[in-house]
Amino acid sequence: MANTLRLYLTCIRNTLEAAMCLQNFPCQEVERHNKPEVELKTSPELLLNPVLICRNEAEKCLIETSINSIRISMKVKQADELENILAKKFLRFLSMRAEAFQVLRRKPVQGYDISFLITNYHCEDMHKHKLIDFIVQFMEDIDKEISELKLSVNTRGRLVATEFLKQFI
Amino acid sequence: MILLQSPSRFLLQILQDRVLSGEKGMDIDCHTVEFDDVRYHIQFSMRNPKVMVLSVALPLPPPEAILYDGLPLGAIEAIKAAYGPVVQILDPPKDGFDLTMKINLTKLPPDEEQRNAILTQIASVREVVLGAPLKVLLKHLASKTVAPNVDKLVALVHRPNESFFLAPQADKVTIVYPMRFQDSIDIVLATSFLQEFVEARRTAALNNVPSCMWSPAPPLELKGVPADALNANAGFVTFVVYPRHVEGKKLDRTVWNLLTFHAYVSYHVKCSEGFMHTRMRRRVESLIQALDRAKSDAEKLKKLVHGASFNRLSLKNEGN
Repeated sequence: MANTLRLYLTCIRNTLEAAMCLQNFPCQEVERHNKPEVELKTSPELLLNPVLICRNEAEKCLIETSINSIRISMKVKQADELENILAKKFLRFLSMRAEAFQVLRRKPVQGYDISFLITNYHCEDMHKHKLIDFIVQFMEDIDKEISELKLSVNTRGRLVATEFLKQFI
Repeated sequence: MILLQSPSRFLLQILQDRVLSGEKGMDIDCHTVEFDDVRYHIQFSMRNPKVMVLSVALPLPPPEAILYDGLPLGAIEAIKAAYGPVVQILDPPKDGFDLTMKINLTKLPPDEEQRNAILTQIASVREVVLGAPLKVLLKHLASKTVAPNVDKLVALVHRPNESFFLAPQADKVTIVYPMRFQDSIDIVLATSFLQEFVEARRTAALNNVPSCMWSPAPPLELKGVPADALNANAGFVTFVVYPRHVEGKKLDRTVWNLLTFHAYVSYHVKCSEGFMHTRMRRRVESLIQALDRAKSDAEKLKKLVHGASFNRLSLKNEGN
């Protein structure tokens, strides 16, 4: 299990390394504007082919690239209702703090759970390889956090139930 | 605190303070709510500093639960038996409340231990009043009989507009809780908690406790109950209580535990959510740190330069 995760993340890392070569590019339609082209999608010649990396049906990562920005969207695994609610809660918690993360998008792309938007300005401010490190760590952490949260809910439930039932002995 | 305590901490504190404060006293007029369903109104007047007027508002009963003068079956007798001469029931109760009691603190026994026991009893008024019918039924179970003139299925109110059901028999009592929660997250967490109850019951150490079942659909015992009472969104929990669970001193504890089962689960669901938030906050911090590491040294340098220029400016200002 851990092994397939490693492969999945390595694949994402390699794709990001290749895809993240961004340059400053002013808007072609409006003078003195500079917008992330991947969001606007006004001129097809500035967009590259999107890459979809899937680990399985439930877990996938979409990487859309353009000349001056890159958008990374991912879907987190949700095996049951509890995981679904935990994932929703956690990702909402993160999206609400998008300002602190700078590269996080406030709303995920449709069909995905969470999205990042990296522009050429982010790449100028930060080291590219460390930014990729961050994205990969983020993905890893979300998976880990959700399974740990689930475990803690179950452990707590067991403890609560045991204490209650012990009262009858 | 894992288990819920039966005396209300707030009531007990007020009573104990008043008993210890001696002759002087001031006006107290306050409201409090317990477990989001029972309301208390506490009054002390200046003229009578040793007399407390306590009004209790019970949760609004659903149509299937039967009340007698707004109180559960046997509540008045239970109050008289538990408190003796210290408490006098005022009839009719205050507007908006179901029960008003006058508690005369001068009639408390002088011995400290006995006095504290009575005060604790008064603070557990919820258990005495709401638990009265449950206690009657379980007492009959302890003596292996069925209470006379009791239906095959008894509905007891435990939350506003919600009740749980008892099917009393001579050798066992089956108790069914339709579990309802408002929040969608609460529902999911509570469902997984309730399934843990069933799992925990299977362990060897808890072989002797009441058997516990959980099902998403109403169990067979609830046949004939109006559909309104059966729209539970977190499933149904069934406990089967045998005489050995209610013998002797265990009776009071069992009554309290069964009475506050919903409050207990909901309390732990909320605690669990609070814990999750603390965890998530910590995780966000660690992720932000990871992002900070990505910021290049150039930017850090820019900040430093900015700081220095600010200093220089202020020096110049001083020179002027």
